Amino acid sequence: MEEAEAKYPNNVAIWVWLIALLAAGLLAGYLPFGHYVAVAAIFAIALVKAVLVTRHYMHLRSESLLIYAIGGVPLLLLLTMALLLVPDIVYNR
Amino acid sequence: MSTATATATAAAQPERIASGKLAIWWFLASEIMTFGGLLATFVLCRFANGGWAEESSHVNAQIAAFNTLVLVTSSLTIVQAHHAAEHGDRKKAGTYLLYTVLLGLFFLCVKAYEYSIEIGHGYTPGVSMFWSFYYGMTGLHALHVVGGIVANFALFVAAQREHVWPKVHQRVEYAGLYWHFVDVVWIFLFPLVYLS
Repeated sequence: MEEAEAKYPNNVAIWVWLIALLAAGLLAGYLPFGHYVAVAAIFAIALVKAVLVTRHYMHLRSESLLIYAIGGVPLLLLLTMALLLVPDIVYNR
Repeated sequence: MSTATATATAAAQPERIASGKLAIWWFLASEIMTFGGLLATFVLCRFANGGWAEESSHVNAQIAAFNTLVLVTSSLTIVQAHHAAEHGDRKKAGTYLLYTVLLGLFFLCVKAYEYSIEIGHGYTPGVSMFWSFYYGMTGLHALHVVGGIVANFALFVAAQREHVWPKVHQRVEYAGLYWHFVDVVWIFLFPLVYLS
């Protein structure tokens, strides 16, 4: 029961981190380092938020490799297909 | 086979994943392709069409940021519902499921208000490719939120029935996985459409 009770504060702590990262993402647009640095920072923050949700809320940190494979293979496939399309769509107007 | 050997054999076998959990992850894999494909197409078309800086300046980042707060909070409430269900607290699980449903409905209301402002200013899906993508992506996401609300509400109703709950309590985890996925999609959609 003590172990179960210890889990609850972690969920709230993750939520606090998510809100803090949301605020950081909003403020990143005002960084005095140029547009591309700001955009990179915003997406890096989004990635961290996604990792927090998937690892802690979706309990991926305690899941088997099969679950990782089911979720990870489509991501890799998507990334590959998007990268393959870049020369065609972005540069071939 | 002796008892000790049988016990050792059983312990050596990997833990089986519940079929419901496996099924929801397969479904999420297909959703990764759906949303991922849409978002990736948006990114590529954005690069190909000069960035759409002017069009994207008319979206309301403040409203969307508030909606992000709502959705992230709903992720907290559903994971709390899952933990309550795991530890046999039916009433607490039901309460947190209700909070999740209400937050989801609030998200949709805010989204509808945002749409009304944009449509009122003449920014409809047919105006430009950016706005087609905007309504397509956020609209598809909103439809998924509706689906999640229906599932969570059904579980909330089941949580009110003591004799039904033992048969369905495990589904809170599956509904939670779906809801967190919807949240993760929004986590990427928000900066893509509103901040960049």
